[in-house]
Amino acid sequence: MENQKSAWNRFTTRLSTIGFSPLGLILLLALLVLPLFPPFNQEHILRWLIMGAFLAAQAVAFDFTAGYINVVNFGFAAILGLGAYTAAIMTNTSPVLAIQPGLSPWIAIWIGAIVSGMVGLGLGVLTLRLRGIFAAVMSWFVGIALLGIIRNWTAVTRGPMGMHPHSLLETTDNLPYFYIIMGMMLVVYIVLKLVVRSHYGLAFKAIGQNFDAARASGINPTYYRVFNFTLSAFFAGWLGGFYAFYFGALTPQTLMHTSKTVEVLALVYIGGRGSLWGGMAIAFPFVFLIEFLRSNFTELPGLHLVVYGVLMVVVMIYYPAGFAGLYDWARAKLLSAFARRKSRAQEAEA
Amino acid sequence: MERAMPQESFWDRLVISLRSNRPAVIVLGFTLLLAVAIAIESGPSQIINSIVSGGILALLAVGLALVFGVMNIPHFAHGESFMVGAYVGYFVFTPINNYVQESGNAVLGAIAPVIAVIVAAIVGLILGAVLERLIFAPLRHRTREGWVMNTFLLTVGLAYIMINGTTLLLGPNFRGIPRYYYIPPIEILNIRIAADRIFAFVVSIITIAALTFFMQKTRTGRAIRAVAQDETGAQLVGIDLDFIHTLTFALATAMAAMAGAALLYMFQAYPTVGLKPLYLSWYVVMLVGLGNVYGAIVGGFIVALLQTATQQFIGIAWEDVVPTIVMIIILILVPSGIFGSEVKGVQEQ
Repeated sequence: MENQKSAWNRFTTRLSTIGFSPLGLILLLALLVLPLFPPFNQEHILRWLIMGAFLAAQAVAFDFTAGYINVVNFGFAAILGLGAYTAAIMTNTSPVLAIQPGLSPWIAIWIGAIVSGMVGLGLGVLTLRLRGIFAAVMSWFVGIALLGIIRNWTAVTRGPMGMHPHSLLETTDNLPYFYIIMGMMLVVYIVLKLVVRSHYGLAFKAIGQNFDAARASGINPTYYRVFNFTLSAFFAGWLGGFYAFYFGALTPQTLMHTSKTVEVLALVYIGGRGSLWGGMAIAFPFVFLIEFLRSNFTELPGLHLVVYGVLMVVVMIYYPAGFAGLYDWARAKLLSAFARRKSRAQEAEA
Repeated sequence: MERAMPQESFWDRLVISLRSNRPAVIVLGFTLLLAVAIAIESGPSQIINSIVSGGILALLAVGLALVFGVMNIPHFAHGESFMVGAYVGYFVFTPINNYVQESGNAVLGAIAPVIAVIVAAIVGLILGAVLERLIFAPLRHRTREGWVMNTFLLTVGLAYIMINGTTLLLGPNFRGIPRYYYIPPIEILNIRIAADRIFAFVVSIITIAALTFFMQKTRTGRAIRAVAQDETGAQLVGIDLDFIHTLTFALATAMAAMAGAALLYMFQAYPTVGLKPLYLSWYVVMLVGLGNVYGAIVGGFIVALLQTATQQFIGIAWEDVVPTIVMIIILILVPSGIFGSEVKGVQEQ
């Protein structure tokens, strides 16, 4: 009995190192086998699930900056789009465009990530002296500039006409893509979770809460902020590469626009800022809600986006802890109720 | 700083702030150079154009600066006030114009755009007051912790709701008018300017002048400035903070709505029309310093000239990119703006 219990404890400790509770693991496994069963094996539902995982992974990468060092990266979508465009340009073989490296998508996706990471590094350096709102505005301006450059550099990106890169796989089946994006989402989550569980996470939180106090207690804010930005942008670019090779159509307006950043931001806030997993968990039910509204109320275009915005504002004003906060609260309630019952049982025995 | 001396005129302030301010001198000198270059390249008509668009930009940016200076809200939904103004302008002007076309009533035709702008201002006042009461007042009464960042994100959500709510109600299509005044361009100093441009410019100049008068000479205006300087002190001398905040937000919304109505002939009305005015006015306030109301007037003309220069020398497609990069450089070198941010505690929050 004792032995069994300690084995279980060891297992949960290991699990929580990579950021999962047993419940989370069960839900994740359920999600992974979900597309094998009807009605979830239909192609359009599979596309929703892929969209959900894509948004979930973005939310994790976004929360890594917004929730920890407390800088809202308003150019997030532009950086993701830059990764997508770089990856698409790297695979280009069409003689219409000026650059035709013709690389495999599997390599190009990493080049896109690295380029985005470098832009993130630059952005980290640019925003070093700035706090709060100034840093947000700076990243916003950088995003507008990136969008403008990609839109105007028509010789390479075809500008507003958009690019149509090849797919990652030969098949038109959605299922393999689902497992790829789920894998990418897990990599993003586990890597970032490991980082924030190390002393890095502590330093990030310290910088986010009080910049000067953190510096006074010996944390080098320059290093940690730039590191944070670079890693977040790297993963954004990586996800952008997936977008390019899955959806197969890139235009600056649909990919890099500020409103795309706002969608991720809303998700992070609804999920619970600073939790990493909140936005990821909420992304899947959310995509279903949004798509349900979109497909069932076609005579009301934009209704799903209004719901999105209202939810975000309501959560921000009335429940800033978000879904993750709600979960923690419910868990604490349950545990204390459980403990009370146990102690009462022991009293009765005595 | 200078704001503490109430009796000085706008120009006095400008001269005083220039004397010991190298970044401002550099930027203003560079602007003058650009103006000369544009004048040589394409004649004075482009200069007139940038002055006209500078006036409207100043009108937009003053509202943004006012909201930040008094309420410490980085207003991201300012462009959506512009959008509302454009829609109001369209829905007021079109029926009047149809009637004018039928009846040939020249007087009504002349004042129809004025009516459109005034209705837009009234709608803006009401909308601003309602939004302030509904969203910012409850939050302010509950907590001021992390106020700047929270309200910033709140206005982001508000902008998102307003854009998509408009799509929901009115659809995504463009509603525009060909022009306000069906008269040939007016000639001033051998330069032909469309009557609509002059109208927009006059609207913005009158509004800014009225606002300056209001802020300097009236009791309520002084109260607004007192709140901007020191909220606790203002409260101690008996100023009703809630009223001042609501009024400020309503004024800013009304100014943006007027700009939207006045520029209807150029921008048309559609749900996402506000984005470009939004970031242009953000360029202005970032250039002159967040919350600096009088600086925003000068800044409006600088940014408009920069845009014209970009169109002239680099190409119309780059008109967003080049000013953005200039603003990024300004943000790196002088984060508090060339005229200085007078708002306390901005850097810390």
